[in-house]
Amino acid sequence: MSSNPFESEEEPSTASDEILEGFLCPICRADLKSIDFLTEHFARQHAEEEDALKSVFKDIFTKAKKKILNNFEDDRERAVAGAPAASSNAGAGAAAGSKASNARTRFNVYNFMSRQTVGAERSYLEYFQTVRNPRLERYASETNKLIIRLHRLLKDLPMDAVQRKQHEQQTVPWLDGSSVKLCPNCAKSFHIARRQHHCRLCGGIMCHDCSRFLPLENAMQLASLSAIRSEPLHQLQQHEDRAIRLCQHCLWLLDTRQDMQESRTCRPLLAQVYEQIRQLQQDVTPDLEMYQKIVNSLHEGETIFTLADAGALRGKIGQVAEQIDLRSKRILTIHSEPGSREEALKKAIRLSCVQAIKERMLSLPPLPDEALIRQIQERKRMETEQRILTEQRMAMEAYERAGHTVGPSTIADQSSGSFAQGSDLQSLNNWSAPQAANTKFSVDDPLIEQINIIKGYIKQARQDMNFDVVETLELNLRELQREVYERQRNSQT
Amino acid sequence: MNLISGIKLYIEKMCSESGPGMKILLLDKETTSIISMAFSQSDMLQREVYLFERLDSGRSNERLKYLKCIVFIRPTKQNIQLLATELRNPKYSAYFIYFSNIIPRTDIKYLAECDESESVREVKELYADYLCVNPNLFSLSLPNCMTNLNWLPDALTRSVQGITAVLLSLKLNPVIRYRAGSQVAQLLAKLIYDQTTKESALFDFRSNVDGAAPPLLLLLDRRDDPVTPLLHQWSYQAMVHELLQIRNNRVDLSERPNVPKEFKEVVLSGDQDEFYGSNMYANYGEIGSTIKQLMDEFQRKANDHKKVESIADMKNFIESYPQFKKMSGTVQKHLCVIGELSGLTTKRNLFEVSELEQEIACKAEHSAQLQRIKKLIADERVSIDDAVKLVTLYALRYERHANCDTSGLLQIIKMRGGNTQIVPALIEYAGTHVRQGDLFNMVRITDAVKLTRHLIKGLKGVENVFTQHTPLLKETLDDIFKGRDLEPQYPAINSELVPFRRPPQELVVFIIGGATYEEALTVHQLNNAGHKVILGGTTIHNSQSFISEALMATTGTQFKHTKSMLKYCNPDNL
Repeated sequence: MSSNPFESEEEPSTASDEILEGFLCPICRADLKSIDFLTEHFARQHAEEEDALKSVFKDIFTKAKKKILNNFEDDRERAVAGAPAASSNAGAGAAAGSKASNARTRFNVYNFMSRQTVGAERSYLEYFQTVRNPRLERYASETNKLIIRLHRLLKDLPMDAVQRKQHEQQTVPWLDGSSVKLCPNCAKSFHIARRQHHCRLCGGIMCHDCSRFLPLENAMQLASLSAIRSEPLHQLQQHEDRAIRLCQHCLWLLDTRQDMQESRTCRPLLAQVYEQIRQLQQDVTPDLEMYQKIVNSLHEGETIFTLADAGALRGKIGQVAEQIDLRSKRILTIHSEPGSREEALKKAIRLSCVQAIKERMLSLPPLPDEALIRQIQERKRMETEQRILTEQRMAMEAYERAGHTVGPSTIADQSSGSFAQGSDLQSLNNWSAPQAANTKFSVDDPLIEQINIIKGYIKQARQDMNFDVVETLELNLRELQREVYERQRNSQT
Repeated sequence: MNLISGIKLYIEKMCSESGPGMKILLLDKETTSIISMAFSQSDMLQREVYLFERLDSGRSNERLKYLKCIVFIRPTKQNIQLLATELRNPKYSAYFIYFSNIIPRTDIKYLAECDESESVREVKELYADYLCVNPNLFSLSLPNCMTNLNWLPDALTRSVQGITAVLLSLKLNPVIRYRAGSQVAQLLAKLIYDQTTKESALFDFRSNVDGAAPPLLLLLDRRDDPVTPLLHQWSYQAMVHELLQIRNNRVDLSERPNVPKEFKEVVLSGDQDEFYGSNMYANYGEIGSTIKQLMDEFQRKANDHKKVESIADMKNFIESYPQFKKMSGTVQKHLCVIGELSGLTTKRNLFEVSELEQEIACKAEHSAQLQRIKKLIADERVSIDDAVKLVTLYALRYERHANCDTSGLLQIIKMRGGNTQIVPALIEYAGTHVRQGDLFNMVRITDAVKLTRHLIKGLKGVENVFTQHTPLLKETLDDIFKGRDLEPQYPAINSELVPFRRPPQELVVFIIGGATYEEALTVHQLNNAGHKVILGGTTIHNSQSFISEALMATTGTQFKHTKSMLKYCNPDNL
């Protein structure tokens, strides 16, 4: 950010020693994070500042804006539009190019998808939360209270009906029902046939029809009590005895809590297997890219990778594909109601797996065969030789023109440089290796030793299918070998 | 300025904001078609959207708590109500709610009060509220927008919302111009203007960095150019729509005999079908030769596959099989569609009909044309619909001609049992008393520029008798990009933004009463020439849908201008 022109806007008189960075407002020195915010902020907050000041800043702003906007906009657009552009350009480019002259037709309009940013949007999440959250917090505290009470209620619940009632009343004070003539819920009057009942958690009054019952097993679970004491519970015969009488509101609060817990922890077999599939798909992506790279490199006639490499990688990808296939089939076998949404979901997952396998893994470009590669390499070698020859010729000519000013010393410089690179690599990869004896007069050339070591590494990396490493190592090896060759030639002359 | 990528970017945003995991997409009727125009099912599968559900119909009560739910609906009262019910009793673990248009704050509050299990993670407006047919063409799928020659209230509201969404998704805050003298256009312009001023914070796009002219929204009236939708078209997309009807990128062939089972419904999406994408504007003739090339290529590949002799051949075959399958599907699909087109063209004698249609639209030779029309519409090989269209074109063209013989032609139509109501209805809908501008190039001696232009055009002759006609829109757009004064014909409603005689950088044209694919082609050509134009309409018309729109729009009106024709009309239609 050192080149950020906005820094210059700090007023020297008010500036403290501390150096601020970012999109600073020149007046209130707040960091506005982006140019858009800053201009907007400035226009809104400081619109009434003195005109003189304004004009000065306006000037700076327009200048700075011009300078920065170009960069920023480009970056942003590239980031957003890069992906769709790449995919659509390749295929249709040919069609567009060949027939562009014909104004009426043949211009694939689907090429122009690049450089478009996602449209305007407006989020209401904040407002939504300000309405929702206080409500939820109230519910949460209410529910917590209920659960604590439930816990106490259940902890030593006596079997005997009378004792039980006493225990319940001790835990939660019941409302005095003497002045309550009507059920608060359904507004029907209480009499001998419609007696008053109390919610065991809030103590509220209701009639029998408005009562709800929470089975004891569920209640234990909610109060996170273990089921050890469940034995005697089975002795309770009547339905009402095996449950806790609650009012609608309390039951609803408890239900909602249970629901939320469930949705947060719900991970059935289907979801687990699905996650495995996604993981596999993610893991195989770099392999697919690598394979593409290897095949390209083989077609280019380079010798960094061998045909065996590509074959091995292809095999590995095939295995992953098989695993994905297997797992998606397993998803299909998970039981679900016929005709249900779950069934449709399973089929859709299977379909997407089959698609992904077909399009990404099975449609890999085929490998060139041995003969073809040799042919390509041969051609490439010839081309290189040709090029080297011409280059040499040109170099000679240049050399003669320059009047023999360039000595052989430059070559020696180069050699030490690339040797350093070799040892860097060693430390970089953190593989333990015997330190090469770095004496000038040693019989074994340290370079050759280095080469051998690297060859070992390459072999190891190949076995691990670590083709990124293979690539870097191979390139380093090339350099070393060339180096040795140069040296030998130098020493001969 | 690409409508399809506008929608796509929105949908991708929805899918990515909800994070990884299995997803279900909860839609309403309209958003379902909006999404299906931009994405195929397999595209959605790739984004981990495995299930689709309609909020407004066929809900099941199955709870799938391991699914995330992306809700994408229009902000209608009914939808809000349904969503509130869903939130009170959530079936999925988390909800990401996106509204396709501006929603009142009170509705958000209402929903927030219903979210008692804290399952909503996102609430947003994303303005994907129009059907993107082509990258430069959108429709609002309103087959009828007028009654009694004025707006249907629902259609008006929908149009305001649709156009607002287009502007927001492309980030445009335009100058709004409307067709002078058109009540419907003026009303629409006013309502859109009100919307942009009310939501000025939304429309506050950083505009004119380099002092460029602001974008322009031009609201036109279909009634200025009733000819374009009546003519038979010869470019691929337009022709398919005229003869087979395209609905939401789909062509229904189930009624046609001899169509193989797998092509009962054909999807024509330029985005997913490369052949269609690059040939939708091609002529019927050109497309024939292109499909032949494609066939040859396909056959060559098929032959390659036939001689599977060695293991290596077999391997190659397996490896290239998916592409092969895909390609054969495309070839067969287009062959099937083109086969249907060519069958209909011969059966209905369309070459002859179309030639005459173009002549009527472009040349003023009253007596010769009248003779030809009489001959053609009496011909049994010409379908009665085409005959009615010919008479309609004639009646529109020679409405004020001294020897206009519409009555005589109507008599022939009546004898053949055709619907004679159509002709007077179209005159009432879009006759000279309604139209502005010179639809038929009525050249006056006083207009020297136009006269010379016309003469030069006449001297050059016509390249193709079937494509002589250019829609009125072309002239209008040319005027705009030449920077002509628009004020008298197209006054601006927010004149404070109007630049001084500079053509706009971006142009959105909306035709009340429906656009056509021929006009889309015009816009496409302009875009190829480097302009940025987008065309939209309340719907995309072919001749049949246009005629039924005109019939609907004129119901309940007193026919003032066509009294002489009424005696030929079927009494039951009055």
